[in-house]
Amino acid sequence: MTSGNDMAGPLSGLRVLELTNEQAQFCGKLMADLGADVIKIEPPGGQATRNVGPYLDDEAHPEKSLSFWHYNTSKRGVTLDLNTSEGQNVFRKLASNAGLVLESFPAGHLPGLGLGYESLSKDNPELIMCSVTPFGQDGPWRDYQTSDLLHLAAGGQMASSGYDVEDIPDAPPIAPGGGNAWHIASHYSYIAIMGALYHRDFTGEGQYIDVSVHEACSLTTEGAIAIYLSTGDVVRRHTGRHASPDMSPGIQHATNDGGFINTTRSGSNLTPARIKVLGEWMDKYGLAQDLLDDKYQDPAVVEVSGQHFADVLKNFFANMPLVEAYEGGQELNFPWGAIRTMEEIMGDPHLQDRDFFVPVEHPELGREFTYPGPAAIYNASPWRISRRAPLIGEHNEEILGGEVGLSQADLAELKKSGII
Amino acid sequence: MQADGSGMPKRRKDRPLEGVRVVDFTWVRAGPWAARWLATLGAEVIKVEWPENMDMLRQNRFTVPPGVEPGPNSTGQFADTNAGKLGLSINVRHPKGLEAIKSLISVSDVVIENFSSRIMTRWGLGYDELKKLRPDVVYVSMAGFGQTGRQHYFGTMGPAAQALSGLTHQSGLPGQQPAGWGWSYLDDTGGMYGAMCALTALRHRNQTGQGQHVDLSQMITGITLTGSAFLDKSINGRESRREGYPPGNRTVWPGAPVVHNYRGPIAAPHNAFRTKETHDGGYNDWCVIACLSDDEWSGLVSLMGEPAWAKDGKFATLVGRLEHQDEMDQGIEKWTKTMGKYDLADKCQAAGVRAMPVQSSEDRVENDPQLKHRGMFTQVKHPMLGDWKFQGAPFRLGGEKVAVKGPPPMIGQHTTKIMGDLLGVTSEELLQGYEEGVYWPETTPKFPYILQAIDEEAKR
Repeated sequence: MTSGNDMAGPLSGLRVLELTNEQAQFCGKLMADLGADVIKIEPPGGQATRNVGPYLDDEAHPEKSLSFWHYNTSKRGVTLDLNTSEGQNVFRKLASNAGLVLESFPAGHLPGLGLGYESLSKDNPELIMCSVTPFGQDGPWRDYQTSDLLHLAAGGQMASSGYDVEDIPDAPPIAPGGGNAWHIASHYSYIAIMGALYHRDFTGEGQYIDVSVHEACSLTTEGAIAIYLSTGDVVRRHTGRHASPDMSPGIQHATNDGGFINTTRSGSNLTPARIKVLGEWMDKYGLAQDLLDDKYQDPAVVEVSGQHFADVLKNFFANMPLVEAYEGGQELNFPWGAIRTMEEIMGDPHLQDRDFFVPVEHPELGREFTYPGPAAIYNASPWRISRRAPLIGEHNEEILGGEVGLSQADLAELKKSGII
Repeated sequence: MQADGSGMPKRRKDRPLEGVRVVDFTWVRAGPWAARWLATLGAEVIKVEWPENMDMLRQNRFTVPPGVEPGPNSTGQFADTNAGKLGLSINVRHPKGLEAIKSLISVSDVVIENFSSRIMTRWGLGYDELKKLRPDVVYVSMAGFGQTGRQHYFGTMGPAAQALSGLTHQSGLPGQQPAGWGWSYLDDTGGMYGAMCALTALRHRNQTGQGQHVDLSQMITGITLTGSAFLDKSINGRESRREGYPPGNRTVWPGAPVVHNYRGPIAAPHNAFRTKETHDGGYNDWCVIACLSDDEWSGLVSLMGEPAWAKDGKFATLVGRLEHQDEMDQGIEKWTKTMGKYDLADKCQAAGVRAMPVQSSEDRVENDPQLKHRGMFTQVKHPMLGDWKFQGAPFRLGGEKVAVKGPPPMIGQHTTKIMGDLLGVTSEELLQGYEEGVYWPETTPKFPYILQAIDEEAKR
């Protein structure tokens, strides 16, 4: 058995041409970290996603965007002006032996340049092309301009997220932060691409994939649609817990060190046996109140006491530090979660055990930084950050010269005329 | 690729995974959602269940339509989450049940489960065992904390995983407790990753002939979705507990330092605004507007009819708009409240201003012209729910819409078919298995379709 570092990633051998903005750069990262050879093609001067902060030391600069760094690990980068015929020719050459083109231009843009799937697949029938656009390639909203916030509004995330009226009257629906509309779209894009790859493995046929960010978000509100279809009820927003048609006991509680803990429904959906376990633990802190009372060994009493248990827990947590309360509960098999911030996540020993904190070298800075690791451990074909995000045009010579076969003179000419 | 000797199955272009067989031990949401996408892509997914330990979603009281007899086969949420699978009821703790499961695994490509860590090993179905049954099996485990690491036995549900991953803290108004996510985002997304892991490992198997165990963690999945915040901390040392964070729907909270809050480019306006009340006290009568440049702001000002307040020089630059957001947002809301949210979004978009309605579940099913055009929902006949709308894929393959493969299984619906047709168990053995509580608990009443299946075996 080879060691982790010698084994190839599960997607090794797959060459991807990535022409994406924020909508799908994460999909490219997911593939690149799993071993695909992802070539990021940017316009000369760099992609606009380089102008999204935060930046290294808060210095706004296209080579210092931490957002760009995160979303473009393990990729190589070339610059190419696709609006010129020279640039288009170079792109055709790249596409002629690529496995996948992943792009997020506005619907119709690439076909308008003569670089649509029909055209590119003539030279390369095995080519898979995945277009990730806000609304897909057709429909009344096709050309609408969007953003992460706009997708979370239209997709239903906001209608489910926010506060109980009792907690904050007049609170707006809340769009969770972090760019998750693009994450959601990237996950579905990845799934569609893997399906197409599987199909190609057996048939040798490529195909065109049309992903809609809006549809991906609309699929990502768990039970909200099923509840509506079943009963006609529209869910109400509740602080820190599932939106639902009715009121439910609170499950998010403050701790005595300024933190918050989320008990999930397991904090209120209790059985007599579990109440005993909980009561005995809380009693050690003198905070069990009446939980050890025999009446709670009667399921009928438990059934109607959900709000009371939530109140007892609330008082318990108000007198406990966050991590002690959360880990103590977990040790007793209560699936609770401390609401952690990056402060608590950095250095978490469990994450260390799983090699989650990944050192990545930035040779141009002579520094090494810690990046987040993978969601999953692939035991026979490891995930790996093979390099930091590419600098602007970093691999022009290596790829356009070495691999496409342009001469030094050609490269110099392309550079002079601003095409790379 | 089929080691069970059944030969190369016929592949249809719209279902790329046809011929792949998945043994699906998952329950609740994240795991079943993962396997649901494998089924939608064409895999034969066999959902393994036991009525004495019923999938929570089969008991979801919120999604039994009025007039439908309540029961494990009657919930809308289970239906959509398990569409297109086959149903096998079997007692894995019974030696005969375990034997049957092992023979099923030996003719399957993927085993997927989302139990607490190491439960499968306790059942005698850990990866080392699976590998003996099927050397190139792809095994995806979806435990909350993963199978390794000192806290591997910690349990999660979506909201707990979200809390621990840092996702919850990214959502809310500054100075308030986190609003979090109003659903199990990490069940939906954990499900996506479960499917992604299976598909990626299948790809690897196609290339190398080698299977593997993929050890996914639901909680850690969430951390990988906080990349910008993670690097801002690990590289810049920026604390997440800071003034003005999280910034509600804005990019920067008024009065707070202008730093990047992981919502894309810094921009203003960038907020939710009330629109004309239509129903339900205006509960979901909101729209969002985001102006990502000065030009887009100018476009909004002219669309609003160039009101005097908006022409004030202090709003001309991003810095000024950030500083005076409260006043600006109030001004904008006066205007947005004069029309309905769809009307408003259409008008804005026609003028090149980024705006969308906040859409409820009802809106997405009934009022969203784009989802209607793209055919997001497909009506499929369900034995208990009747004609039921199922959510399709958010992608088209080769120009074709990808709808669910079929309705979800009723519990144990396909047991005799799977055992008999696929694994060659005789009718006699099947009947004996039902007698001994292998295929259905002795003390649980049998549904008519189970009795009918038993009856058919008896007649053979």
